[in-house]
Amino acid sequence: MSVPVIYDGDRKGTVLRIERSSVHDGPGLRTVLFLKGCPLRCQWCSTPESQSFEIEKTEENTYGTIMSVEQVMRELRKDSLFFFISTGGITVSGGEIMAQPDFTRSVLKNCRMECMHTAIETTFFAQWETIHSILPYVNLAFVDMKFFTKELHEKYCGVDNTLIQENLLKTNDIEEKFQLVIRTPIIPGINDSEEELCKIGAFCSKLKKLSYMQLLPYHKLGTATYAKLGREYLLGDIQSPTVDEMAKHVKIMERYVENVIF
Amino acid sequence: MAKEYMERIEALRQQYLNTRVEMDVYNAKYLTEGFQATEGEPWIIQKASAYYNVCVKKDIYIQDNELLVGGVGFKPRAGLLCADSCAGIIADELDTISTRPFDPFYLSEEGKKVYTESVQDYWKDKCLLDRWKKMTPKDMQIMKDNGAIFIDRKAVRGYGETTVDWRMILRKGLGAIRDEAKEKLAALDDAVPGDLEKSFFYRSEIIAADAVILLAHRHADLAEKQAAECTDEKRKAELLKIAEVNRRVPEYPARNLYEAMQSLLSYEYACFMEQNASSYNLGRLDQYFYPYYKADKEAGLITDDDAQELFDCLWIKIAEMSLFQDEVTAQYAAGYCITVQTSCGGIDQYGNDATNELSYMMIQATMDVKFKEPNMAVTYSMAKNPDSLLHKAVEAISMGLTMPAIYSNDVGIRMILNKGIPLSEAWDWNPCGCVETNVSGKLKEYTDIADINMGAMVEFALNDGKSRITGEQVSVHTGDPRDFKTFDDFFAAVMKHIDHAVDVITSGNQLLDYLSMNYRPVPVLSMGFPHTMEVGKDYSQPGGAKYSVGGGVITVGQADIVNSVAAVKYLVYDEKKCTMDELIQALDADFVGYEDIQKMCLDAPKYGNDDERADFCVGQIFSHVVDQFETYDTAFGKMTCGMLPVSGNTPIGQWVGALPSGRKATTPLTDGIGATGGTDVNGPTALLKSVSRIPHARYTQGTQLNMKFEPEMLKGETGIMHGMNMVKTMSTLDVYHAQINCVDRAVLEDAQKNPQDHKDLLIRVAGYTAFFVELSKETQDEIIGRTEINNWAPVGCGC
Repeated sequence: MSVPVIYDGDRKGTVLRIERSSVHDGPGLRTVLFLKGCPLRCQWCSTPESQSFEIEKTEENTYGTIMSVEQVMRELRKDSLFFFISTGGITVSGGEIMAQPDFTRSVLKNCRMECMHTAIETTFFAQWETIHSILPYVNLAFVDMKFFTKELHEKYCGVDNTLIQENLLKTNDIEEKFQLVIRTPIIPGINDSEEELCKIGAFCSKLKKLSYMQLLPYHKLGTATYAKLGREYLLGDIQSPTVDEMAKHVKIMERYVENVIF
Repeated sequence: MAKEYMERIEALRQQYLNTRVEMDVYNAKYLTEGFQATEGEPWIIQKASAYYNVCVKKDIYIQDNELLVGGVGFKPRAGLLCADSCAGIIADELDTISTRPFDPFYLSEEGKKVYTESVQDYWKDKCLLDRWKKMTPKDMQIMKDNGAIFIDRKAVRGYGETTVDWRMILRKGLGAIRDEAKEKLAALDDAVPGDLEKSFFYRSEIIAADAVILLAHRHADLAEKQAAECTDEKRKAELLKIAEVNRRVPEYPARNLYEAMQSLLSYEYACFMEQNASSYNLGRLDQYFYPYYKADKEAGLITDDDAQELFDCLWIKIAEMSLFQDEVTAQYAAGYCITVQTSCGGIDQYGNDATNELSYMMIQATMDVKFKEPNMAVTYSMAKNPDSLLHKAVEAISMGLTMPAIYSNDVGIRMILNKGIPLSEAWDWNPCGCVETNVSGKLKEYTDIADINMGAMVEFALNDGKSRITGEQVSVHTGDPRDFKTFDDFFAAVMKHIDHAVDVITSGNQLLDYLSMNYRPVPVLSMGFPHTMEVGKDYSQPGGAKYSVGGGVITVGQADIVNSVAAVKYLVYDEKKCTMDELIQALDADFVGYEDIQKMCLDAPKYGNDDERADFCVGQIFSHVVDQFETYDTAFGKMTCGMLPVSGNTPIGQWVGALPSGRKATTPLTDGIGATGGTDVNGPTALLKSVSRIPHARYTQGTQLNMKFEPEMLKGETGIMHGMNMVKTMSTLDVYHAQINCVDRAVLEDAQKNPQDHKDLLIRVAGYTAFFVELSKETQDEIIGRTEINNWAPVGCGC
């Protein structure tokens, strides 16, 4: 078997898992690399096992494994033919990928060297220099914007969102030609007031690289994992928004942003 | 809104679904009479004359709403006993056949009497099955009795698995074929050696053609009689049309699409009646029917809805054939399935896209009728076929129809090339039966003479050739496995047992060929093979058809052998997690008291995950099997292989003890070429990558992959696009075939509990489609247990 040239192949990172055949994390069929560890603590998080930077063990599962860039690349390129046909590629997700910047950058750089389409899913909660050093290897960036209001962000996500907003605005002035998508989860009763949505929309209208906005309906798929990890699900019982409600929210966003989907 | 023609189709569907499956022993009775009346004549003349007697005497019917007519038995959906093949087969089942778990057939008291008084005794020691049993070599008997091979299938039923020259049948008509036989007969000189035998053949062709034509005329008579009694003017006109059409075809050339379809159906039934065999394929109907459709359209004789209605009617009439099998054989291929396959798409003789309007109508017919037969497929040429065809196919799949099956046209062509047929003819290949390959009117073969139990091959290597189930010495000695110093020693032992099985099966093939050449002439089928007419030899004789290959042998338990070999390497030799001695003790105990070892076995790398540690041996094992078979020649060419276990993986599993894969004793082996249920955890792309390790094109009898997607995955336009991309990639990976089940588990479970509510629920049972509620509980459970690929649900971070 031939071995391709690898950049920074020995670098290690903490990986939660690698999922193939995904169709929800960018165009086409994709392989998603989930990294472990996140500075945010969003209360609705559906992958709580991705939050801690440590490898966690429960009776049934071990969450997280240390992998080298080379090992990761070996997995990512397995579906290259599927990427080619479906115009898909790889997506690095988390956790927060900017929390392991060197590892993330090396993986993305290798993927671009092998002509794979790259997407990232991030909160942008990181130093601008870190983000800026990764963007040259990114074709598509999904950035979460869960609130505009600082207090709410702090209350439900555990950190101040000033840095996130500053970073987003800085993308206006850089040369890199990636596609920017803002994703807002709709959490009924928490961030779906018209007022909050209008603020988010108004902010997004300032983003020059914005390709489209995507509203994601809240779901409870991850709640069972909280129990397995022995953690409490703080959000309590919230119903997923209906299709009609989602359509209504899209209408609000459309006052500010041209392309909105859900 | 539903189209107008759907009213008729719905009525025909309901009629079909409410028809009890019965056993027909009357054809056998008339056949027996015919043989008795021609005692002392050459066997082929006896067979043709007896067949003629069946056509004269059999009960016929025309059902309400039918446009296309005919029937193989005395009632719709009746199963036939082929007396000259296996008259004795139901002797022990007379009282249980109506209620047996696999494919019951209702047999009336009168039917039992007809059988015991007029059929049974004449064929004792005379039918092919009895001769087969008498002549079975000892080593084959031992392997058979211990479930290492299953090889009686073809002794029970004759040649199907073939595709006649439909273009010629429609264009010439049987009358012209009969006249050709007369001319050939007149030109013979019985003083010339060989001409006498040829005269037997030509005489039998004349009788056979007359028989089939006579049966069509009887239907014309019946239609006229019913028309005379019919008060509904519309139906009366239809009946008179039926009479006109059946007076014309299959005797004369078809002049329009209606006649072409009836001609095809009449001859299809005629072939089935001759042998009660499966897989008399319809081939590439979009190609054969197109000239008739085009002429009709241009002349303004039909609309597309008219054409669609005829296709739908044809589909229902094909489904009306039920394959009778004895109790044991039925376990291996349950579901009454005749596996009559038809396909659309592909390329034409110039290498151009062959898709036409009818390609879409064929898929639409499957969507309209929603029946298990015909086995509908697309031979997909990624380079040439339009996306709109693939879109239509995935649309049907997303409805949960399990059809069409998707074939890589290029791999199919390569299989045909590997059967020794030149590219100038291979382009016209068609899928056959489950997933086999055929070329219409040219290729004679038995595509599945035997199953080889791949699980047993590992078991023998780990037990010095003995069966863990029976304790008997079944295969050769390869020594105590504890003495295998290296993985290579172990692997070599597995290969030795494969070699032995190959040798034994091939001797069975030689016996079957001898018996078939002497006691299984097929004058009706031979009419569909122009080369037989040229050379004056029946289809059953070497040199009769233009091309032939040796018997096809089916490997069963692909994932089981791969996972077991991989587990031994991983646990014993590479990681040294346990010793060979510990492993053997655990297998001997069926893991009872060795649960820790079983867990290690289950956790070892598994096929279906694109994992080198399991997939490393796939190419090597399966190339070895084919290499070995190809060293054996037969009267018809080199032996061939395929991977189409139908439902044989369940009964064959009962003969295999615990395996290093972690599988418990007597449980089913894995179906097709997929992963063992629940062990492929990396999603459909990883599964396809593992599957692409199999040397598909060398398995010229086809390789069959079941994939089960939940309807979610193929939902909406985006879902269909993803499905199309999957299929395209599959094609690029040189994976030959995939069958996509798109139903959810809840529906299957409900169907098990409330079968009456799910009479029309279709499910794919390894290479063909069956009504779920007609399968045995065991097979149902196995289907429910198969891995559901559900990786296309939203994942995404944080949100």
